[in-house]
Amino acid sequence: MEKVGRDEIAARRSRAVRTAWVLGAVAALIFITFILSGVLKS
Amino acid sequence: MSIEHTHGHDHESHAAHDDHHDHKPTGFLNRWLFTTNHKDIGTLYLVFALLMFFTGGAMAMVIRAELFMPGLQLVEPDFFNQMTTMHALIMVFGAVMPAWVGFANWMIPMMIGAPDMALPRMNNWSFWILPFAFAMLLSTLLMDSGGPAAGWTLYPPLSLQGGQSFAFVVFAVHMMGISSIMGSINVIATILNMRAPGMSLLKMPLFVWTWLITAFLLIAVMPVLAGAVTMLLTDHFFGTSFFNAAGGGDPVMFQHIFWFFGHPEVYIMILPAFGVVSEIIPTFARKPLFGYTAMVYATASIAFLSFIVWAHHMFTVGMPLTGELYFMYATMLIAVPTGVKVFNWVSTMWQGSMTFETPMLFAIGFVVLFTIGGLSGLMLAITAADLQYHDTYFVVAHFHYVLVPGSVFALMAGAYYWLPKWTGHMYSEKWGKIHFWISAISVNILFFPQHYLGLAGMPRRIPDYSTQFADFNMISSIGGFIFGASQLIFVGVILHCVYKSREAASGRVWEGARGLEWILSSPPPYHSFNTPPVIDATTVAHAGEAH
Ligand code: HEM
Ligand SMILES: [Cu+2]
Repeated sequence: MEKVGRDEIAARRSRAVRTAWVLGAVAALIFITFILSGVLKS
Repeated sequence: MSIEHTHGHDHESHAAHDDHHDHKPTGFLNRWLFTTNHKDIGTLYLVFALLMFFTGGAMAMVIRAELFMPGLQLVEPDFFNQMTTMHALIMVFGAVMPAWVGFANWMIPMMIGAPDMALPRMNNWSFWILPFAFAMLLSTLLMDSGGPAAGWTLYPPLSLQGGQSFAFVVFAVHMMGISSIMGSINVIATILNMRAPGMSLLKMPLFVWTWLITAFLLIAVMPVLAGAVTMLLTDHFFGTSFFNAAGGGDPVMFQHIFWFFGHPEVYIMILPAFGVVSEIIPTFARKPLFGYTAMVYATASIAFLSFIVWAHHMFTVGMPLTGELYFMYATMLIAVPTGVKVFNWVSTMWQGSMTFETPMLFAIGFVVLFTIGGLSGLMLAITAADLQYHDTYFVVAHFHYVLVPGSVFALMAGAYYWLPKWTGHMYSEKWGKIHFWISAISVNILFFPQHYLGLAGMPRRIPDYSTQFADFNMISSIGGFIFGASQLIFVGVILHCVYKSREAASGRVWEGARGLEWILSSPPPYHSFNTPPVIDATTVAHAGEAH
């Protein structure tokens, strides 16, 4: 059985937080570009 | 400590470490309001979804009571329209979607060998936003201008002609969107980062795969919906003209935007259902899933195609012929990966040693009845025919087949399948089966006649109708009342299982069950896998030669 130590868990958690920020940024970007494209067109 | 503790030693991975006492927080608020535990949050989501299922269901009963006979009987036409609109919003955003997030919370960490979700505190927020969002949405029914009444699609100009309460609807939709996006971020972050060593992507259970893909769909389209309703808000209250033709705006643009969100949204509600059914059928057929890899690719292609077919909802708005043709053929393409899935489920059952416990009954009911909905979808995809069917009860019949004996049956199947795992007790198989049979029969009495009504020309979203539609409407309403009442059996079975059942469930629960959740005790320890489990052919459902 492979062991997962505390460092490994901590590393995973920080990778997970990075994934979350990237995805959150993508969602925010979609929202903002979408609104902006509507505003600029009208 | 209690049962969990002793059961915790069942598996060697738990004997390896010493701090596996279940530290459940004490006190009601600590346990539920401030919880960061994936199981407790999963439970909250599921209970909330069930409450919303009955709230939306009560509205459906109002609708079917009014439509029981021709003529205006019970409610004002405007209130009727509020009922159809609220029914859909509540079922889509309050019942089906949160229920799937509840399953994701409960099952994904266990299925990939993780201790919890990756972002537990955000998880708490994703859930606790929802009761406020729906309190806000429901409160509009009590306001002077009443609830939203323009249909769940919120098409302008009609949606802009409502009263002040519209602002509450928009903010409620914003909150639901934020909740879904945070939930999806958590799902993706968990699946990508928290898998046990050896749990490669192509060993993951299909439920995890379908949720991963669903989460990407959600992140892509929820911001679009949020943007669209924001523009409705400013059109309504701040004098902009995004969609207001009088000010140079384009109402048809709203339809394009809505359905760019809306079509992926319907797959958001069905992909996790595909996942659950793909878990259940192999268990009760006692065979590995046929064509695991094909299932993964089929899910991904359905998700991709769902972005490029949206205007099949708008064949009647007057698109160029090339547009109509393109959206017709693109839509029909979805039948290919969907067909692959149905084929694989049937092949999994083929020559299996099948038994028909309640989860399997619901799963088979799903395969058969969802396919009926898929076929009527294919009929609607034929542009020339849709000019006739559009906005009739045929469309209502179509989407209720894919959503009720589709998504909702899959939810029921999953609930019965994992209830013994969650609670540590067996539910009553007898009452589960009674629930299934009454539901399966009445759901057809409810929705099948609506095909005929639509073909005969009865429009959707009307409180009154011409007398030639009377018979089928009465049959449909009777089916509806039976279906609605029979869902109380479900609540009874759950309550009995949680509080009364004496029959303890083993860790494996079902003889043919494969996958990591089954090597844990029933109920599982509060933190699922503090030590990652061993991943091999005996623990993982799809590790074998199946692919
Ligand atoms: C099997 C492939 C499918 C095809 C080819 C298909 C096709 C269509 C078409 C062409 C329409 C528009 C009909 C009209 O308004 O005139 C439609 C409506 C709808 N479909 Fe499907 N569909 C499919 C599967 C699904 C699934 C899986 C779901 C959800 C789980 C779903 C949910 C809906 C809903 C909710 C509507 C109505 C939306 C509204 O106007 O309120 N469909 N479908
Ligand atoms: Cu669609």
